[in-house]
Amino acid sequence: MLTKDKFKPDKETLVSFSLMGPESGGLCWVDSKDGKIVRTRPYYYDKEYTDANCNPWTMEARGKKFVPMPKVLITHFGLGYKSRVYSKNRVLYPMKRVDWDPNGERHPETRGKSKYVRISWDEAAQLCADELKRMKREYGPEAVLCESDMHGEGKNVAPSHGCPNRLLSLMGGYTLQMRNMDSWEGWYWGAKHVWGCEPVGEQNPQGNLIPDMAKNCDSLLFWGCDPEVTPLGFGMHLPTQICYWFTELGIKSIYICPEFNYGAVAHADKWIPVLPNTDAAMQLAIAYMWLTEEQYDKEYIEKHTYGFDKFVDYVMGKEDGVPKTPKWASEKCGVSPWTIKALARHWAKRTVSICHGNGGSYIRGPYSSEPARLEIMLLGMQGLGKPGVHQTKMIEWNMWAKNFPVPFTPEKPRMMPHAGDPLRPIKGDLPDEINMKRFTLNPWQQQKAPELCKLFEQLPAPTQFIPRCLVHKAITEGHAEWYGMHMFSTSQVPDKNNYRKPTNKYQFEKIVYPRPGQSRVHMIWSDTPCNVTCWNHGNLFIEAYRDPSIETIVEQHIWMENDCYFADIILPVCTMYEMNDIGNDFSSGVFQSIYKVEPATEPVGEALTDFDVCVKICEKLGPEYVDAYTGGGLSEEDRVRLFYKVSGCEEDMSYEEWAKKKVFVIPCKADVQDEPAGFYEFYKDPANHRLTTPTGLLEYSSSDIEKYMPDDPERPPVPHWIEKSESHDERLSSERAEKYPLLLMSNHGRWRVHAQCDDIVWNREIETMKIRGKDGYQYEPVWLSPEEAEKRGIKTGDIVKVFNERGIVLCGAYVTPRLRPNVCYVDHGARLDPIDPGHIDRGGCINSITPTSMISKNCTGMATSGFLAEVEKLSDEEMEDWKKKYPEAFARKVDPDAGVCLEGWLEGGIA
Amino acid sequence: MKAFVVDVAKCTGCYNCQLACKTEHAENDWMPYTKPQPKTGHFWCKLEEHVRGSRPKLDIYYLSRHCNHCENPSCIPACPEHAITKRPDGLVEIDQEKCSGCRECLAACPYEAIYFNDECGVAQKCTGCAHLLDNTDLIPRCVDACPTGAIKFGEKEELMDDIEGAETLLPETGCRPQVYYRNIPRQFVAGTVYDPESEEIIEGARCRLTQGPRGWDAYTDDFGDFWIKDIPVGIYDLIITASGYKLKAFYGLRTRECQNLGDIAMEKE
Repeated sequence: MLTKDKFKPDKETLVSFSLMGPESGGLCWVDSKDGKIVRTRPYYYDKEYTDANCNPWTMEARGKKFVPMPKVLITHFGLGYKSRVYSKNRVLYPMKRVDWDPNGERHPETRGKSKYVRISWDEAAQLCADELKRMKREYGPEAVLCESDMHGEGKNVAPSHGCPNRLLSLMGGYTLQMRNMDSWEGWYWGAKHVWGCEPVGEQNPQGNLIPDMAKNCDSLLFWGCDPEVTPLGFGMHLPTQICYWFTELGIKSIYICPEFNYGAVAHADKWIPVLPNTDAAMQLAIAYMWLTEEQYDKEYIEKHTYGFDKFVDYVMGKEDGVPKTPKWASEKCGVSPWTIKALARHWAKRTVSICHGNGGSYIRGPYSSEPARLEIMLLGMQGLGKPGVHQTKMIEWNMWAKNFPVPFTPEKPRMMPHAGDPLRPIKGDLPDEINMKRFTLNPWQQQKAPELCKLFEQLPAPTQFIPRCLVHKAITEGHAEWYGMHMFSTSQVPDKNNYRKPTNKYQFEKIVYPRPGQSRVHMIWSDTPCNVTCWNHGNLFIEAYRDPSIETIVEQHIWMENDCYFADIILPVCTMYEMNDIGNDFSSGVFQSIYKVEPATEPVGEALTDFDVCVKICEKLGPEYVDAYTGGGLSEEDRVRLFYKVSGCEEDMSYEEWAKKKVFVIPCKADVQDEPAGFYEFYKDPANHRLTTPTGLLEYSSSDIEKYMPDDPERPPVPHWIEKSESHDERLSSERAEKYPLLLMSNHGRWRVHAQCDDIVWNREIETMKIRGKDGYQYEPVWLSPEEAEKRGIKTGDIVKVFNERGIVLCGAYVTPRLRPNVCYVDHGARLDPIDPGHIDRGGCINSITPTSMISKNCTGMATSGFLAEVEKLSDEEMEDWKKKYPEAFARKVDPDAGVCLEGWLEGGIA
Repeated sequence: MKAFVVDVAKCTGCYNCQLACKTEHAENDWMPYTKPQPKTGHFWCKLEEHVRGSRPKLDIYYLSRHCNHCENPSCIPACPEHAITKRPDGLVEIDQEKCSGCRECLAACPYEAIYFNDECGVAQKCTGCAHLLDNTDLIPRCVDACPTGAIKFGEKEELMDDIEGAETLLPETGCRPQVYYRNIPRQFVAGTVYDPESEEIIEGARCRLTQGPRGWDAYTDDFGDFWIKDIPVGIYDLIITASGYKLKAFYGLRTRECQNLGDIAMEKE
């Protein structure tokens, strides 16, 4: 019997497809039927939202108009997400590692090998509560390391990250794993010393940059930028449309990157394939050309810069006897001298801006402070802030609070509370005037909803921290020292003028772990189990997780993946499709909106929200904990209602109306396009529009570095080309290159948001996502140029070993003209599937073999791209040997379409 | 009559069309329109990648391919069970109950648009999302999910502006496909012209490509680059001239594969 009803969903709910974490945007409709998700589809503003004046924005330039499509431009992450909700990899119920006995032998050495058994929520919560209490009693509360970060599903009333922190604060404190500036390393540790630019060292202000570029630019440099990749997990496809518009306007798109990236495929007019992590050499040669041919803005340099003469001395070779000529650079960066010269002249003669999707591998390599600084200096030589001379971001538009690069600034600011406390600095590390209270209520909100105050009460903070890039060393060595990282700088709340206090000087303060009188870490509680696949030297993380000093590891997570294999207790968390929430789209670009999220499906297995996981543990700690944790008993629905109340939208639309309509679209401000773009005011009048550097000027020699660390050979006051130094020896000129002759580069994945979404079965059918080997296993692709593949007798589809001293990762070969020779390329974030944990991985988890050392000795960040490795075809004999040597690893079930799965890790299979 | 128009110039290769189709049909039962698609392995909408040229002169384009819902479909007469029909709106459908699983239609379709579902024992393909068109306000999922508007779907007469100048795949089959493609690029010859002595590119060099009486001219830009685009497959001669340099010639260039001639060194006169 055919009725129309069969084809209609019985439930339509909204959810975000962005996976950024707080402030995730991109609302989409989820259709479900009989409790099962049928599809996810884009939200249309014009269809669903016609009765308010939303003042949609447009841009005009050169007689052409840009009108954003009136729909949310959904990405493949959203389309395929139901495959994640119902993934074979879901943690279905609480689990305990079989040979971990809290009252007897704990067997840290078998973490990553031993399997798990199902336990009840009651037992799991009791175990966690008992361990937390024991830690506090035996060592002090700081013996618990809380690993809690940022990216993940965009949830607010029960966030993906930061729920355990609140409970640990209630218990008197903890050791915080502080997120290093992973997405912005070079900008943060380098560029900030040239132009200030809180919070992360990329250009701020970003206001109106895109319309200004459309009007004034001749060419754009997409330098290590892929507008078709990085923006997808954070916002949506609006940058795609903007890039097409630039082309339509006659603006040239020049892509400078080792691989013909996805943005280049769609938009490039010119591709300059540079060797990974050698951009600094090319930049120095461009400066050399401009200096020798006098093709730079001398008057601007005079008024706007500090230390330019020292920079000139280095570039021209006065300092070290080596002029940084195009020929000199060519040998380092693999780009012909004639192309470097042509680029220098092209740039000097035209109006040029640089675009970034944060920088990716370009600013995440060894010594990344140097290319990042040099880029700003080149922009300075061409008059940074002039119409059309900017550094523009294609993502994270939410971060700029007020001025967006596209004119979609909201009519008035909206505020979204976040019931987690992931990255709070240690009390006393920073003066109060630096407002780090991002995840609390502001005074207006406190007044508006006093019922919420208890939930956001500032409990005792963490008492010490370890930068995430040093956690493994701190655990294995019991001690660590570093400079800076007192704060996760994007958490600084700007004042009403959008001003953030400069924080550069904290980069020069030394910190020691453990702090005097404090315990080292003996337990880890994590809601962020991706250190092995997203951070530096994942294999050392494996060693750390197996260290005898670590008595207990608790992971709360949605999926059985990565660091979870090293946990002793695993707690199941539900996805955003299974709960009530309030969503906020502040970043996807057409409009900003606040929307109501309702469950599209029942929780899978015994999963709970991250918030409720903590409530379960509170119940075992005592009723006073439950009361404090829930802010006096606020339910999920209560939190949605009250969060809406303090969002700033209730004045425009009542809760009841919003609950019915499900979306409040925030009207755009009308006259933003009249505001000056980017650094125009600094360009016009530097004396009255100072930068936040100590001199207020663009610093070609950093006055802070001159003052605090003048003799640092790895980040000297003037940026240098560093061939090799104490921290890294990762160049093709290295002796190591005889054994490991390829530069391995690693980007944000096209098909993942870091570690997220490795298991969407339909994406895994695409060759750039997974390559099925002859053994049927879906391997992570390693790109190789036809030349390098031929040298090694490798063809597309071959199972290959990617390796260096730090370990072996198996991949599937993808031979393509899209990559230059001397390079191999593997995206980070593939799920670990250990054959021999800490040594051999089958899952393609490339970060397991990235360098241990930080960016440089005084720059506390990670270097996870641009390092040496070799690729070799895996022989059948070697595979057979491994099968004999590690039978348990090969016996672990792997799903043919989804890859690693829960069943493989459960003793006796799914119960 | 329904038709699709795909603008290849607007396609970034994001795969949203292919993936949206899969999420709609894999393991969802839309009978009587179609039985569930197997979880993996079928590509009723398939994004086909075309990589042309070589580093650094690469040009990659994508074709979003699905059943062409032909005006003169070769699958219909091939089916011994008369299970394949053309709906009044032009969409070609396979009756999943009548299909005997003989696979004749798979062999008959020159576009390889039909798949065989081993689990259900039936032939399956793109339905044009007829289950949505007939029963809901939704449009075909590939069209809905496209972030650039590169795929359009609707009544053919309303799409005539887009169809004007568009082409269909393999027109020689006589099937008269109703999926039209705009802006499929043709072959190219490209290179970079430079002076090895001074290590400088040469701007404004004349690059003349000829095939018999036909000729194409391009001049190198300020990167020394030239691209001669949208030429048919054939055999060509290329003459490069620049003032102060000896002429450089490439005879018998075959463009079955696009030709990147790389960095071309010019000798001083």
